[in-house]
Amino acid sequence: MKILCDRQQLQEAFTVVGGIPPLKTPKPVIQSVLMDATADGVTLYATDLEISAKVPVDAVKVAEPGRTLLPARETSALLRELSDPTLTLSGQEGRTTIDAGTGSFVLVSNDPSQFPAEPEFKQGVEVEVPVREFLDMIRRTSFAAAREETRYAINGLLLELKDGGARLIGTDGRRLALCYTEHGGDAQNSRVVIPIRALQALSKAVSDESSEPLRISISSNQIRFALDGTELISQLLDNRFPEYEQVIPKAADSTIEIEREHLEKNLRRVAILSSGEVRMVRFKFEGSEVKLSAESSGIGRADLSMGIELNGPGGSISFNPDFLLDALKVSDRELVRIDMTDDSTPAKFTLGDSYTYILMPISGS
Amino acid sequence: MVRTVLHADMDAFYASVEQRDDPALRGRPVVVGGLGRRGVVSTASYEARKFGIRSAMPIGEARRRCPDAVFVRPRMEVYAAVSAEIRAVFDACTPLVEPLSLDEAFLDVTGSRALLGDGEAIARRIQAEVRARTGLSVSVGVATTKFVAKVASDLHKPAGLTVVSPGTEQAFLDPLPVRRLWGAGPVQQERLLALGLETLRDVREVPLAALAQRVGAAAAERFQQLARGIDLRPVEPDRDAKSIGSERTFDEDLTADDDVRRVVGRLAAEVGRRLRAAGIVARTVRVKVRFPPFRTLTRQVRLTAATDDDVVLADAALELCAAARAPGEPVRLLGVTAADLVPGGASEPRQLGLFEQEGAAGDPERGRRLNAALDAIRERFGDAAIRRGE
Repeated sequence: MKILCDRQQLQEAFTVVGGIPPLKTPKPVIQSVLMDATADGVTLYATDLEISAKVPVDAVKVAEPGRTLLPARETSALLRELSDPTLTLSGQEGRTTIDAGTGSFVLVSNDPSQFPAEPEFKQGVEVEVPVREFLDMIRRTSFAAAREETRYAINGLLLELKDGGARLIGTDGRRLALCYTEHGGDAQNSRVVIPIRALQALSKAVSDESSEPLRISISSNQIRFALDGTELISQLLDNRFPEYEQVIPKAADSTIEIEREHLEKNLRRVAILSSGEVRMVRFKFEGSEVKLSAESSGIGRADLSMGIELNGPGGSISFNPDFLLDALKVSDRELVRIDMTDDSTPAKFTLGDSYTYILMPISGS
Repeated sequence: MVRTVLHADMDAFYASVEQRDDPALRGRPVVVGGLGRRGVVSTASYEARKFGIRSAMPIGEARRRCPDAVFVRPRMEVYAAVSAEIRAVFDACTPLVEPLSLDEAFLDVTGSRALLGDGEAIARRIQAEVRARTGLSVSVGVATTKFVAKVASDLHKPAGLTVVSPGTEQAFLDPLPVRRLWGAGPVQQERLLALGLETLRDVREVPLAALAQRVGAAAAERFQQLARGIDLRPVEPDRDAKSIGSERTFDEDLTADDDVRRVVGRLAAEVGRRLRAAGIVARTVRVKVRFPPFRTLTRQVRLTAATDDDVVLADAALELCAAARAPGEPVRLLGVTAADLVPGGASEPRQLGLFEQEGAAGDPERGRRLNAALDAIRERFGDAAIRRGE
């Protein structure tokens, strides 16, 4: 194999797949990235046996078709450090040479025939969604999914296709983020749990500038995302996802409208004095204002108020400020709406036209 | 060697701390507890006790009995800090300190006598030090066993010091009413009274067989031993307890899934009660399963929120157990442990869960109240008196 390529383009493609090879594995061959050069062009392929990604490399000239394995860590470090505009890569038996103007680098590489084949994807439900919107949905829901070892360590997001709409839902049992978009494609309903890691890889792999829609295919145990020649396939998680619809409040005693940016800033200020075993900021909605307060024993306390539009009796409720900031940060609404009933039932935050956040309060305040 | 065991018990602990910190409360009936509609009394000051207000009583009833009392929410953080001060005083007297909760502990000072003087001297030193460091009073019982020390500390509250010298245990215990017997709840007491036994002397002198017929063989033996002042339980130091656990080994392997579930549920309830008694909550639940002959598995999970609730502990433990054991697989030993302990209590803020059916009917306050009630009943009538439906 021998190719001539633009370093920038190769580096960009490598960024997409370079995060997939595992740092530790009983199967060291998958710590490499497979480069496949054919008459049609060059692709990079990486897998950790759960998630696999294939991405085309732009601006290449294939001198000699063939396949070679590039050790993921060293190659990505090299591409980052080199400053030459073009590179020549040639794979011979057992090694790959990267020739740059400033020097040449020989990497020992495994036999490409040992590399696991691309997973076979059985066709299933097919839908298309606007890519930028879907990436926003990932950004707005993935933080709410538990990663640490907890009872709701789902480590995935629920993708629910229903009646022409696609919902993405993340929860860690204390909060729940839900985004919605309409999709074109099969009317068939589907409900699958996608590993967070796969969605993070997808966020890196596809550009939100693309004019093409993101194509999503779901089979019984896999999901495939495809856009502009880039393809990402992931195993689905078989975790049970909680019955999330039951915890979304259908009605509330009070409705509050509040400026998002202002709230975010004030919350940050007050939260400084909310240390302790449980981080907590108290909200007291009354008349046309909300009083935010926090207390930290032995450190001090904070009190601050800001204007709101309140419908209903209002009342007090306490939240973990970090949980709320996580969501406010990724909202693009000027005004957010809060629906609440009392200090022990979930509050509903409307943070966008199709972005809802459910947050459970802290009791005993 | 004759042991010297101290039982030190803070007087109306929470309420005394509140009175210490707010001079306006001094001399007034003070009730510390949950102030919600369904709150219960944690501690009542001595002034409030005159109105018949007791721990675990619904706050509404306390209000009825004494409308003029001052009702305050517990401040666990403060109590935990004071408890650490007290603990430091104990630790300075002996390494053998067995804390029972935030406000009481057993101390085995046998080895400290040469250095610090006899039990009475050490007890006085503790009382003076505790007052100097915290401004609070503590009652101390000095004896040769845990049982006698505990009875003694309770006899002359507040700020009492009762010494039962070696050899005088019998004389000390004999005239005491049977309700002083450790482990004798009202039901057992009534049985003893029905036998005509009113004092510990009566219990000591009645033929064992007659007693056994009424209260059961095990209890009969224990009561007579205690009435004679015999109590071999050692003071078990529990330096930074990292976990609280309970386990059971079975004479015959357990195979039925229902039996396993039942035992796990009971172990979880026991762990929950000990957590609540110590005023702490746990973030991690661990389950230990031993399959015959010796293969042992442990599984643990971190909870979304620290808890002391039986139901939450049991749910987590059952899930872990189901993951560790195939249905019908025989089991020789089961254990449930709560780890990752942090100071807790009713007033500690707690992140609520979206999907968690915490406590009874998904209402954490109700769950807490139920737990308090169950604990109070078990305290009075013994462990077997009440149990959650299984």
